[in-house]
Amino acid sequence: MIFLTAMDGVDDRVEGLEAGGDDYLVKPFAMTELLARVAVLGRRPPLGEDLTMLRVGDLELDRLKRTATRAGQRIELQAQEYKLLEYLMQHVGQIVTRTMLLENVWSFHFDPRTNVIESHMSRLRSKVDRGFATDLIHTVRGSGYRIDAGA
Amino acid sequence: MLSTLRSGAFKLAMFFAAVFAVGAVALVIAVDISVSRYAEQVTTDTLVTEATRLQAEYRRDGRRAILEAIGNAGGDAREFRYRLSDRNGAPIAGDLPRAPIGWGSVTIAERASPGDPPDAASKMRTDGVVLGDGSLLVVGSDSYDVAELRDWLNMVALWSGVGITLLALVAGYLIAAIFVRRLDRVNAAAKIVMAGQLSQRLPAMGMGAEFDRLSSNLNQMLERIEALMVGMRQVSTDIAHDLCTPLTRLRQQLEATRESRSLETHRQAVDDATSQVDEILAMFRALLRIGALEAGIGGDRFKPVDISEILERVAAAYLPAMEDQGKSLRLSIAPGISVRGDGDLLAQMFNNLLENALVHTPAHTLITVALRREGNSVIASISDNGPGIAAAERCNVLRRFYRLENSRSLPGTGLGLALVAAVAELHHAKLSVADNNPGLIVSIRFPQS
Repeated sequence: MIFLTAMDGVDDRVEGLEAGGDDYLVKPFAMTELLARVAVLGRRPPLGEDLTMLRVGDLELDRLKRTATRAGQRIELQAQEYKLLEYLMQHVGQIVTRTMLLENVWSFHFDPRTNVIESHMSRLRSKVDRGFATDLIHTVRGSGYRIDAGA
Repeated sequence: MLSTLRSGAFKLAMFFAAVFAVGAVALVIAVDISVSRYAEQVTTDTLVTEATRLQAEYRRDGRRAILEAIGNAGGDAREFRYRLSDRNGAPIAGDLPRAPIGWGSVTIAERASPGDPPDAASKMRTDGVVLGDGSLLVVGSDSYDVAELRDWLNMVALWSGVGITLLALVAGYLIAAIFVRRLDRVNAAAKIVMAGQLSQRLPAMGMGAEFDRLSSNLNQMLERIEALMVGMRQVSTDIAHDLCTPLTRLRQQLEATRESRSLETHRQAVDDATSQVDEILAMFRALLRIGALEAGIGGDRFKPVDISEILERVAAAYLPAMEDQGKSLRLSIAPGISVRGDGDLLAQMFNNLLENALVHTPAHTLITVALRREGNSVIASISDNGPGIAAAERCNVLRRFYRLENSRSLPGTGLGLALVAAVAELHHAKLSVADNNPGLIVSIRFPQS
């Protein structure tokens, strides 16, 4: 259940989630945002919640050792880059919006105006995609990002 | 005059007066009783002494001594009266009426002088002893002196009571009048404030520390209210000005869009307009949030939060963006420090400060994020060695929508620091914006937890 509301105080969000909401969207919201979140909720429990290994194409994430490898090559990730990749891979094939990333990877319940996400994402891409056969991380214009092995 | 009589001060004074009056009366009664007992004791003691003396005389010289003693004591003003009667009760000497063996009392009529009509009846205490030959000797003494004393005491008590009561009434009225007058002065000043003159202050009452404290506290309240009113007026004006700009721009964009021919340009223009509207909405939301924070909403949901973790998380979020812009970030965050507060709000506060440091400094700036304990408080600071802010402007930058002249072209709404100030205030933390020599240092001092 997603709360759609005009009330965006911190209190309101907490109360909404405590009242049993699975997610909380403040009006006005982009349709893409709503669609992305519904898709994510629709696939509960999220893929890979209990899995120790996540895989997308030839990219592997070992959640016990907290390491990433692609095509057998070890990829060095900073703590927040790891969290970002993990979240993307848990929602493989789905669009994750900027707001979802801010909330789930950084626990930010506000929108920094600067391109915090973009700078993390570009670093992540250069480590995960550059020099490999295919790009796994895609930007979906107007919506957010998506990781998948297909085109 | 009526208001004084009806006033609480007067009632209080009356209460005290009543307490004192009751106390005084009780005291007088106690003295009265005490004196009476004492006088009675004296009377019986003297009787016993006299009876014993006469008994001794009898043993020495027989009845003759007694008759001599009785004969010697004469006149109405003498201290003792006697009666000597034989074993059958027939009187031998003395002028006391019949009285029993041992303690007794008789009443005799006093005369001012022989031949006058009888005066006030006088009560006498008597002591009767049996002599060796069986005769009864009775000695009597009056308690006239005591009675006189008691009457005198009663009169004193009565007049004291009246005097005290009158004094209390007058003093009470005067004190109450002073109170009422002083309070009226304060009330008059309050009325002026209510009529809209917020700069009016209440006079000190001059009646004691606690009243002056009240006046002083009320004045501080008024100062705060005045500051808030001024702030509100300022904000309304600022908002009006600062929202005109993006809305005007939006309107121009939409007008231009109408003119364009291609669908692609339309789409692009609609996208642009949408993001403009998003910016305006974000501005409104920020304003609402700042307003709610300033009203104290959310302050009762505080719990202990790990401020070290929050600061590390926010700083780590900005690290790549900093590097992309050619700036360096240095962290000096003491671990495991906890304060009482709201984690989300604190994250937003630190985010705004780091964002400012990122946006308003040139390349190659070093930005430092620090968290340390100092005595009982916790100090978080974000500093840089960039251009800093001129001393005169440092208090202005916390106002809503305030943009420094040379920052107007940079992205931002001018609300970031207003939110920082509101969050700090909500957390009872002290915010300071100072010169970092060179650069700027913003510190937030959290009170002891």
